[in-house]
Amino acid sequence: MNQFTFESRYKNVLIGFMVLGLVCLGITFAIDDGLHTRFWTNYLHNSVFFTGIALMALFTMTAFTTAMAGWHTLVKRIWEAYSMFLVPGLILMLVVVAGVVGHFHHLYHWADAEAVANDEILAGKSSFLNSAWYGLGTVIIVGIWIFFAWKIRQLSLDEDVNGTPEFKHHQRIRIWSAAFLPIAGFSSAAIIWQWVMSVDAHWYSTLYAWYAGASWFVSAMALTILTIIFLKGQGYLENVTEEHLHDLGKYLFAFSIFWTYLWFSQFMLIWYGNVGEETVYFFHRRENYPVLFYGNLLLNFVAPFFILMRNDTKRKYGTMAFISIVVLFGHWWDFFQMIKPGARLTAMEALAHHGAEGAEHAAEATGHALGFAMGFTIPGLLELGTMLGFLAFFIFVVFNRLTKASLIPKNDPYLQESLHHHVEIHGEESH
Amino acid sequence: MSKEKKDVLYGLYDDEEILLKAVDQANAGHLDIMDVFTPFPVHGLDPKLGLAESRLHIAGFVYGAIGTLTAFLFMTWVFTRDWPIIFGGKPYWSVPAFIPITFEVTVLFAAIGMVVSFYTVCGMAPGITNPTLDDRITDDKFCIAFDVTSADDAAKNQLKGFFSQSGASEVNTKTI
Repeated sequence: MNQFTFESRYKNVLIGFMVLGLVCLGITFAIDDGLHTRFWTNYLHNSVFFTGIALMALFTMTAFTTAMAGWHTLVKRIWEAYSMFLVPGLILMLVVVAGVVGHFHHLYHWADAEAVANDEILAGKSSFLNSAWYGLGTVIIVGIWIFFAWKIRQLSLDEDVNGTPEFKHHQRIRIWSAAFLPIAGFSSAAIIWQWVMSVDAHWYSTLYAWYAGASWFVSAMALTILTIIFLKGQGYLENVTEEHLHDLGKYLFAFSIFWTYLWFSQFMLIWYGNVGEETVYFFHRRENYPVLFYGNLLLNFVAPFFILMRNDTKRKYGTMAFISIVVLFGHWWDFFQMIKPGARLTAMEALAHHGAEGAEHAAEATGHALGFAMGFTIPGLLELGTMLGFLAFFIFVVFNRLTKASLIPKNDPYLQESLHHHVEIHGEESH
Repeated sequence: MSKEKKDVLYGLYDDEEILLKAVDQANAGHLDIMDVFTPFPVHGLDPKLGLAESRLHIAGFVYGAIGTLTAFLFMTWVFTRDWPIIFGGKPYWSVPAFIPITFEVTVLFAAIGMVVSFYTVCGMAPGITNPTLDDRITDDKFCIAFDVTSADDAAKNQLKGFFSQSGASEVNTKTI
């Protein structure tokens, strides 16, 4: 079967989960503090996470095309469909932008004009960290990504119908892909600074964008593996074999280690340098959020490192599904610990400043021991429900896009290479 | 190493696909292949020859783990027992500072251990020369070799027949 049909039973399940996500967001909003910090951080966290996965799908596809890789041709329609989530992703992020401009949330310390006025560091960064740049950056950068995603997908779909023996479409996809790579490299860094790193507005790290980008990349790989296993279970993609799974597994393994390398490089230099302005980020997380801090390494390094190290595990559907779920959840967890602690401090300061219920937290806001708070110290059930809702939304969009085209890119010049892909030296010859 | 001289009858093939088919044919005819030489790893050849998967990577893991422990425990001993020095106000037992060196020693132990294991298993050492059947098997030829030291003429003819039938471009005998 080369044509995916989005059956109504999938739709019902996905809509069910989306409703669950909305209900969880609603409950979070209702039981939240005066500034709805938990609600807004959950919203930002999931929007950033899934938009990033869409970007990394596009990035992977363009990188492979530029490198003249052929093995991924059979799964490239899935990445094309992923990249189409950038449109809803932009809409999700526009809500955050509206909040920054309209001041109806307190996610970002730098968005509070009063705080900036009394704060030398925030004032110094205000030429970049301001609502105009935040809004423009989001719209322009994600807009450019959407344009490239749309362009490449159009060419790829047109190739199915009007493909020529000279592979004109592929030549043009190659040009667009090569052009996208540097754009993606620089713009993703800028967007990560704005969306995520500026939650801790006093702090910065030059490695941060790579580290967060690697987190997105691994998540995209894990979700791709899960999508493939699901589609194969439904009888689609019969030509995608454990050979392709093996290569995706290598990417999952390699980039889990890459992520760890970046995480540790960032951590160790800051720990070693021991400059108060820098260490505060990790100190705050290690002392007040130990479960997040150490759980992050366990889920994203120890688990994939030992499970994916052996050759065979990368070729087994069950093991790959298991580790993909662990790693996908792990990187969602990673973004959780990037966003929550900083936003919590910002909200505490804002609450203390505005008197009222936050007054008792005033002392805590200075960075001393913080008490346990569900949804901040660890992800609670509401966070998990919200995550499932966003995940269902992502998959809904992706499945909807998958129905629009053949699952196999018919006239792609590398199709035969992908059909005969063979990586395992000890495996049986397939032809 | 004591090594008896062997008479080897070998055929050269021009292409890996022809080679794989020839190996299948030899297996079907119950011919006892001594060895197959190829200029690069040919996918799917190992199971046809009944070769078990290499255990070198398991050895590599063990060497790496030994390296991890050696580095980590050695630094722990040095900096807490033998010669404690305070660096940059850090505690004596500063785990993050040990990690880069632990990683490097892990890689070093795994690499050297695997090279030494591989050379030992293959019987290679400085000064030992391994005779090659034909220099071109390191370039562009694929070779199937039979041990014909104790074979009679009928058996040799049967093997020669197999070579010509399976598409060998050249058949030679060599004593190694």
